[in-house]
Amino acid sequence: MDNNNKVTSKVIETEVPLGTVHSAAIEPYRVRLFVEDEIVRDAELTVGVNHRGIERIMEGLPVEKANSLTEKICGICSNSHLWNSCLTAEKGLEIDVPPRAEYIRIIMEELERLHSHFLYLAHGSEVLGHETFAMRLFYIRETVMELLRMIGGNRVQYGVSVIGGIRPRCDLNEMKIQKISEGMNYIEEKIGEFADRFVRDPMVMSRISGIAAITKEDARRLATTGPSLRATGIEVDLRRDMKEYEPFEFDVITQDTGDVKANLLMRVLEIPEAVKIIRQAIKDLPDGKITNRSWEMQDTGIIRSYIEVPRGKLYHSYSLEDGRVRNSIVRTPSITNINTMEFACIGTHITDAQLAIVQCDPCFTCTDRAVKILDEPFRNITKI
Amino acid sequence: MDTTMIINSILAVIGTLILAFAVSIWLPGIERKFIHARIQQRVGPPVSSPGFMAPIKFFFKQVLTPNSPMPRLYNALPLISLIIIVFILLVIMPQMYSFAALASIIAVIGLLKVEEIMYMFMGSLSKSVMSVGMPFPDLVKGAKHVNETRSFIEELSTLRAFRLIAFGSFPLYIALFVPVVMAKSIFLTDIFAFQQIHGPVLFTVAGAIGAIVYFIGFMIMLNEYPFAIMKTKADVIEGPLLEYMSKYRAYVYITRGFLIFVLASLFTTMFLGIPPNIFSWNILVTIAVAIIFPIAMAVMSAFSPIFTFRQFYPVVAATSILGVLAIVASVL
Repeated sequence: MDNNNKVTSKVIETEVPLGTVHSAAIEPYRVRLFVEDEIVRDAELTVGVNHRGIERIMEGLPVEKANSLTEKICGICSNSHLWNSCLTAEKGLEIDVPPRAEYIRIIMEELERLHSHFLYLAHGSEVLGHETFAMRLFYIRETVMELLRMIGGNRVQYGVSVIGGIRPRCDLNEMKIQKISEGMNYIEEKIGEFADRFVRDPMVMSRISGIAAITKEDARRLATTGPSLRATGIEVDLRRDMKEYEPFEFDVITQDTGDVKANLLMRVLEIPEAVKIIRQAIKDLPDGKITNRSWEMQDTGIIRSYIEVPRGKLYHSYSLEDGRVRNSIVRTPSITNINTMEFACIGTHITDAQLAIVQCDPCFTCTDRAVKILDEPFRNITKI
Repeated sequence: MDTTMIINSILAVIGTLILAFAVSIWLPGIERKFIHARIQQRVGPPVSSPGFMAPIKFFFKQVLTPNSPMPRLYNALPLISLIIIVFILLVIMPQMYSFAALASIIAVIGLLKVEEIMYMFMGSLSKSVMSVGMPFPDLVKGAKHVNETRSFIEELSTLRAFRLIAFGSFPLYIALFVPVVMAKSIFLTDIFAFQQIHGPVLFTVAGAIGAIVYFIGFMIMLNEYPFAIMKTKADVIEGPLLEYMSKYRAYVYITRGFLIFVLASLFTTMFLGIPPNIFSWNILVTIAVAIIFPIAMAVMSAFSPIFTFRQFYPVVAATSILGVLAIVASVL
């Protein structure tokens, strides 16, 4: 195999196509596994089944409408998309967001990180074949979902951020703060119990230790992002560079081995950090306005914004023309991680291949939006 | 043998079979409702659903031709499996001990092997739509390997079924030889007689170790988590059973329930000296074991991930060594 993840040998025993519909894959994507004696020698992962063309729909929409449309990109990181889309406009139009709104946005983002990580751990356990862990993790996650519903009004599309701040209904009062505090106590206790049970289980550890390991060098070469990158030992977290996170103290979690175990532990250990940030945010929540309405619309060039979402780096960019969105591009972390997923499959047992993909926390339905035609006559099509 | 005795024997055999069927249809429900669901803190299906109502439902579903090169043979395999398992139960009934050659541990093992081989046939004869490749050359992303030979995921199960036959079911068979060595006979009648005189094999050191080994073999035989490699949903989904529908799927469900009962009966016969016989109160012990085994199995599987061959080989090897130790202990 060469450095570009291509098999140099022509001899491949057989191909096992998994998907686009498969019981271990909760989203429609296609994996071609090229195997020899049940060991994966090469892999190819393609998306395109659920193409929705959201960027195309956003083109020409008023910016507020376009922002709320980005929330529909993902059912897990809906807040992240909306927040980043609003951030893009705020950056381009130089809008100052009131500190109270910043804090509530951070609380929402970290709650979303919690529910995403619990979802990851539950899905990982299910692919591992440990249904009991999966079920119990979903129960713990339910607390977070209820908190999200309490703040945003919905369990999936919260609609918290607007340009210049947050919606009035999403403001926090004493009762809500109390409930968030209780929820965090519960989460911290439960994740501690789970982590203890998890790392002491020899059967689970034997399934995940040393499986689908990615080295630092490979992670850099494959442009891995998010917790999957940090699982290889590279300390990169965009939250460190975001001014919104400046008031908060938290540790950037890293692991060394880059395997399934490291990836799972990454999420387990990031949960208390998210809890820590939420606790700081509710403790120091500033008083005052929640929305800055004193700004004017104007035309802009291409505005770019990156934020750290539960799965990695999220990119939004668009320009504004008469208050409408032009040249919109969204890049989710999963598109960045597809190469890593393919690479992680290689060398694993075929049963572990799905686990190797899941370890990068894929979200393909969110990734599946735009198609770029590279050459005529539509022979080579690449997702962007 | 007088006429009354013959009639009694026939009634005992038929009665035991009916009882076995009546008990076996509840076993999957007990396993799933009372153990799996309770451990996972969920309601679970009605206790009659997996073993009783589901087969009834499937019997009234439309029969379609499965995607198989030999659909009739493929559909017949669960029924053949069921017949084989029923035959095993017949063999271990005390009324059948007069058929000396059949009522031996070798015959039982042979029949169990045939039952195992059925999964290989099922896998080879199943070609599910899940594995069918695209009808045009796959050029997305430049396609790493164009027009590669594609494997049906059930073919992987076939290979795994073969491996299970080759080494996976070792623990169960080794454990069955513990009473054989102690009774110094392969015939069930001698093993039964030995335990009448010396007490149950289970209550000896060798028997206790053998029982543990048997239980692990029981789980492997039933392809239950963590030993469900043949039908793991992370890759082969349901493996050989994927294409079964309507009444043929009903046979699959009934076969599994019946296999649980038969393996429990085999355990009581070999380790407790209690063969299944409806005319004896000891049948309650057989029923109790038939309920305890799936309950214990459900507890084990609820707390374990699925094994790949990386874990499977050492576990089977260790259990087999334990079984060999039990045999050595039974000699001493």
